[in-house]
Amino acid sequence: MSQLPVKSLVLMAFVALFGLWGWGRGRAGAEPERSGRGLIALYDFDSPDGTVVKNRAGVGATMDLVISNPKAVRRRSGSLRIVGDTLISTKTPSTHLTEAVQRTREFSLEVWVTPAKANQTGPARIATLSKNGSERNITLGQDGDKFDVRFRTTKTNSNGIPSTSTAAKSLRPKLTHLIYTRDRSGRARIYLDGKMTTEKMVPGTPANWDRSFKLALGNEHSKDRLWLGTYHLIALYNRSLSASEVRQHFQAGPTAGSAIAVSSRDAENITRFEEDIAPLLAKHCLECHDTSSRKGKLDLSRKDTALAGGKHGQAIVANKLDESLLWESIDNDEMPEEGDPLDAQEKALLKTWIESGAHWSLERIDPVNYLHGGGSGPVWIQRLTVTEYIETVRQAVGIDIAKEAREILPRDLRADGFNNTAYNLNVDLKHVSAYARLAELIVERMDLGDFARRFSKSRKFTDKDMGALISAMGMALLRGPLEDHELIGYRGITTAVAAAGGKFEEAVGFVLEALLQSPRFLYRIERQRGDGTSWPVGEYELASRMSYIIWGGPPDQELMRAAADGSLSSPDTLAAQASRMLADPRAVTKSLQFATQWLNLDRLQHLQPDPARFPDWDPQIAADLRLETLTFFEEVAWSDQAPLSALFNAQFSYLTPRLAAHYGLQSQGPGLARYDLSSTPARGGLLTHGSILSIGGDEASMVTRGLFVLHDLLRGVIAAPPPGVDTTPVPSRPGHTQRDAALTRIDDRACGGCHKKFEPLAFGLEKYDGLGRFHERDQFGNKLREDGHILFPGDAKATPFTTSAELMDLLAESGRIRNTLTWKIAQFSLGRPLGAREARTIAVVHRQAQEHGGSYPDILHALVTSDLVLTTLTEFSN
Amino acid sequence: MNRTPLSRRTILKGLGGIAVGLPFLEEMSLWAAGPTPQALVPTRAFNLFFGLGIPAPLQSEGFDGVLEPLAPLRDKLLIMRQVDQLRCDEKGINAHFDGASGAFTATPPNGEARAGGASLDQVIRRAHYPDGLPPGMVPTLIGGTFFRRSRISRYVHSYNTDGAVAGVMQERPRDLFERVFGALALPNSPDSRQKRLKRSVLDSVVDQYKHFTGNNSPLGSASKGRVAEHLDRIREFEQRTYEMTRKLPNAPERPASSALAHGGRADPGGQGIDITLEELSTEWRLMADLYALAIETDRVRFGSLTFLAAGERIRLKGDYFHGGKKIFTFDDAAQHKASGDKGCSHEWWHKFNEKNDNKALRAHAHMKMNEIAYFLKRLDDTTEANGQSILDNTLLTISTESGDGRHNDTKRELSGIFHAITAANGRFKTGQIMDVKAEGLDVYNTILDGMGVSDTKLGPAKREHRAVEAIRV
Repeated sequence: MSQLPVKSLVLMAFVALFGLWGWGRGRAGAEPERSGRGLIALYDFDSPDGTVVKNRAGVGATMDLVISNPKAVRRRSGSLRIVGDTLISTKTPSTHLTEAVQRTREFSLEVWVTPAKANQTGPARIATLSKNGSERNITLGQDGDKFDVRFRTTKTNSNGIPSTSTAAKSLRPKLTHLIYTRDRSGRARIYLDGKMTTEKMVPGTPANWDRSFKLALGNEHSKDRLWLGTYHLIALYNRSLSASEVRQHFQAGPTAGSAIAVSSRDAENITRFEEDIAPLLAKHCLECHDTSSRKGKLDLSRKDTALAGGKHGQAIVANKLDESLLWESIDNDEMPEEGDPLDAQEKALLKTWIESGAHWSLERIDPVNYLHGGGSGPVWIQRLTVTEYIETVRQAVGIDIAKEAREILPRDLRADGFNNTAYNLNVDLKHVSAYARLAELIVERMDLGDFARRFSKSRKFTDKDMGALISAMGMALLRGPLEDHELIGYRGITTAVAAAGGKFEEAVGFVLEALLQSPRFLYRIERQRGDGTSWPVGEYELASRMSYIIWGGPPDQELMRAAADGSLSSPDTLAAQASRMLADPRAVTKSLQFATQWLNLDRLQHLQPDPARFPDWDPQIAADLRLETLTFFEEVAWSDQAPLSALFNAQFSYLTPRLAAHYGLQSQGPGLARYDLSSTPARGGLLTHGSILSIGGDEASMVTRGLFVLHDLLRGVIAAPPPGVDTTPVPSRPGHTQRDAALTRIDDRACGGCHKKFEPLAFGLEKYDGLGRFHERDQFGNKLREDGHILFPGDAKATPFTTSAELMDLLAESGRIRNTLTWKIAQFSLGRPLGAREARTIAVVHRQAQEHGGSYPDILHALVTSDLVLTTLTEFSN
Repeated sequence: MNRTPLSRRTILKGLGGIAVGLPFLEEMSLWAAGPTPQALVPTRAFNLFFGLGIPAPLQSEGFDGVLEPLAPLRDKLLIMRQVDQLRCDEKGINAHFDGASGAFTATPPNGEARAGGASLDQVIRRAHYPDGLPPGMVPTLIGGTFFRRSRISRYVHSYNTDGAVAGVMQERPRDLFERVFGALALPNSPDSRQKRLKRSVLDSVVDQYKHFTGNNSPLGSASKGRVAEHLDRIREFEQRTYEMTRKLPNAPERPASSALAHGGRADPGGQGIDITLEELSTEWRLMADLYALAIETDRVRFGSLTFLAAGERIRLKGDYFHGGKKIFTFDDAAQHKASGDKGCSHEWWHKFNEKNDNKALRAHAHMKMNEIAYFLKRLDDTTEANGQSILDNTLLTISTESGDGRHNDTKRELSGIFHAITAANGRFKTGQIMDVKAEGLDVYNTILDGMGVSDTKLGPAKREHRAVEAIRV
């Protein structure tokens, strides 16, 4: 992957969070705010010279404009005046702009211009996305004393006619602010100097916009529609602007170029730090120089401590390389003390960063965000997991194929903590043969005539009738409209059936078999190619994202309708749909899949404790343990809709009599029952469940339990054990508990640096044996303890606790835990490991979710309405 | 694409990329050199269809016009003019459907995918082989090179008594080869019909995976790689499941895969496809060679072969030579100044006007006769035990869908439809162009009489049969 996409993404993230275009933000009341949402291109004419007009939107490097005849323009910082024959145009097609508008079906064009005279005609081109004098997507022109906008839709001609014009004499040779905005319904408005002057319906959609057209200013591409005048600002959006936004933009004025330039530099500094420097420090320095380790009293994970330096002096001095001890020790390869020195490229990055001011944009460098490249790898297509396949079949054709699918489809393997991780969802021959066989079985069980009647009453094989039926069935099964080439392929099947003397139902069956094996059925196909920047996802793509994230299955009819009419991505509809979907029982089912995978509950199926050690073990208890945790999760997440962190100290559980006996509790009757644990100090919270505690094996290994808490609850990072280390669990023995074994490792010079970071996390669980039973003494009569201390990542000091219950309360109150839950849910929802690339957006999701209560539905709602779901990082493509 | 016409010798010697071993024919052929009693010659009947027809006024020009390519075979053929198929008219439907359905059946269509009754070849088959054909023989072989598929009768021309198709269309040369010479096995799908249909499903699936791995794929590189991996597995699955596992003993080598569009891609919603004359001719001639080979080796005795469908939708390009001289340069789209279906060759038929020179239509019709003649010559190359060629010994009925391409006059459209038959081992007159002035139904029933089928007649049961004795010897 090139540098461009990631840098651009960070810049976009910055825009989203800090309002790059929202100059005035933070200076309450001083200046009106502007919204950067949906901004595709922005030209502030900041540069006083040169032949290029830069697009400042930070998305779409291909949309810089080149002046064909520089002698015909006069440039000043903040404006560009055309005085002679020229064309200012992109060098390559403005595909990004066209596709962005096609996706949202909304558009706004904002200009601050001063026409040279009021009698230019043609219309003279102020701004145009077109090919020539008769083929365009959008053109703003001057037609005498009027502004004229030609917006091409499926209902206009290729010239965008009928056009939308302002009134006669509305254009005068003076500084003018104009916004043309068109919403999804086709309502177009023109605002002049903040006031609406024209309103008109422009029916149709921009689906027929031509991707090969280029954006140009001052002239038509055929160079026969010259416009003379001065540009101060041009902005293009893939959404409509509200009247209040228009007023704000007008009030912000035309001369915001300097603010943009400053913000751009800030954005570049952020990019440099977060792309280049933070990963470098995380990789080479933080193991010894984070908040808890602070070797040499130097903490390089935080801005204030890093710049303050350590016991040897200032580590980083902005702009002064020679005075920066960090640079000196690294340049001399003295640091890292243990590990490979930095390579030449890394050193160069560090040097440039210090020399250019050592800008530091993060409160804290969280090393976990930079693991495995920080989520910067390629975006993989997502194959449906076995569970998703079963649900998709059920929703699409009403057949329950769960039993057969689980029998013959290969299992999806766990990667990065979940079994829906896209890069790991590969295919083999067995998948292909299974999909073919399952398609046969599904079709065999269907009432094909009845199914077809849902979509069409005709039973004819003709192009028109069969084509219509296939299109409708395809839409339902493939989660979006069929393209022509697909329809042709399916039509080939029906003609083959007809040619073989087959009947209508047989043709329908074979088409369904093909649909069920289509890549669009088995995969979540999305448009991934673009200009390397982040694009809004298409409406149908959004519908699928939402439904698979919230329900684990395909979109329902209501979601598809919203996608079809193009309203789904509008904020209000999006929020309403998310709320509706979260109220559906399928959302509960999907959340339990999350819990199962996050806590690796499938592991319980294979739990085989040593019979000699646990002679009373009943294999049925494994199922009870799973049931306990999932029922508990469901009540916290859905019945109580409590903050999800309540999972760690909620004072109840769900037990069978068998499990109650296993825990040493008095049975409260047959079947699964709710147990109030408020007076049972040993129980309460996920970490007191046998399903979790059994993760440490028969010996209740503190290493395994500690690593689980560190990785899966705290998102902590720890280095892998050095090669050759004996990792065989040390059994307890008389006079030597698991805590003693842990303390031995912690005290060991070679092991302690790492083990002290995670083994103490399990101290509070010491009284629970390998199957989750609570004891005061182990099998050798050794007295067990439950006190300890927990070091949350990023904290300088560990927090002490005296009982397990106190530990559970600490976990439930921990911001780190809450943050981890958001990250884990986001990872599971998106089907890929996340890192620095998504950190800022996840922070927004997390904050919004917590503001609404921090429950599972709150997190999901914030997630599906965030840019993590609304946009996709495209791959640069020619 | 190999422009060199595929001669029988080329086929037999395995040149030109199509390897068919000579020893095969020598071992499998039924016929020795020199005449032997007539009884050794089996009864055979095939329907040979070509699309769009020859307007009646052009038929009257005899071998001086578009029928010129048939001239070398004039002694082997009875060309019948003024054969009317008006009874095949289906209200509101043009001859591309009802006329095509009437070819060889003389009945209007019965629904979307059925003819109104049996076709000639099938009536004769049932009459002569009431207990079925000898073991191992393909009962009915249906093949063709065509690119219009919206209705069955446009391209399938063998029908059972109930109007249902009499076999599965083999539209790829390799499919036809496997149907004739292969011994196939498919799990869960014991019959070859089912296999063919499953194959069409898989073809469609493969096409989609190809799309998502091709240049127009919306996917990024990692995702494309994943889909490509899936496509590889599908191909492996296809190979394991559908590939011909074994051939008949001494069968020739399989021909290479066709590079032309088939299945749905061969008829993109009636919009037509671009194709060169070289591509069309090469594919058809390979199909014709294989079909002829199947007859020569007595693997098949009944069936039908189609060269271009009724209402064919192709935009043909290329220079057409015949007899050493250039006849025409095809470039339908440019010559029509249109794209899509309006740029296709069938528009020449819509635009036919006897007052004009109809140059493009003539060239197309001439080319079709040239390709029909190619197949006939292939059958004429092999001498059978009675000293006559297969062409002489076989009933070959040649026809099409209309006698005029204009749809605004049903009577004109379904009148004067070109027909030709062979001698069928001395049963019918040949060497003539005859104005029979009869209904197709009567002609067909007379053919059945001539073929010794006395107890079955096509058409309404109560209708009085009007024999066209002039065609019989």
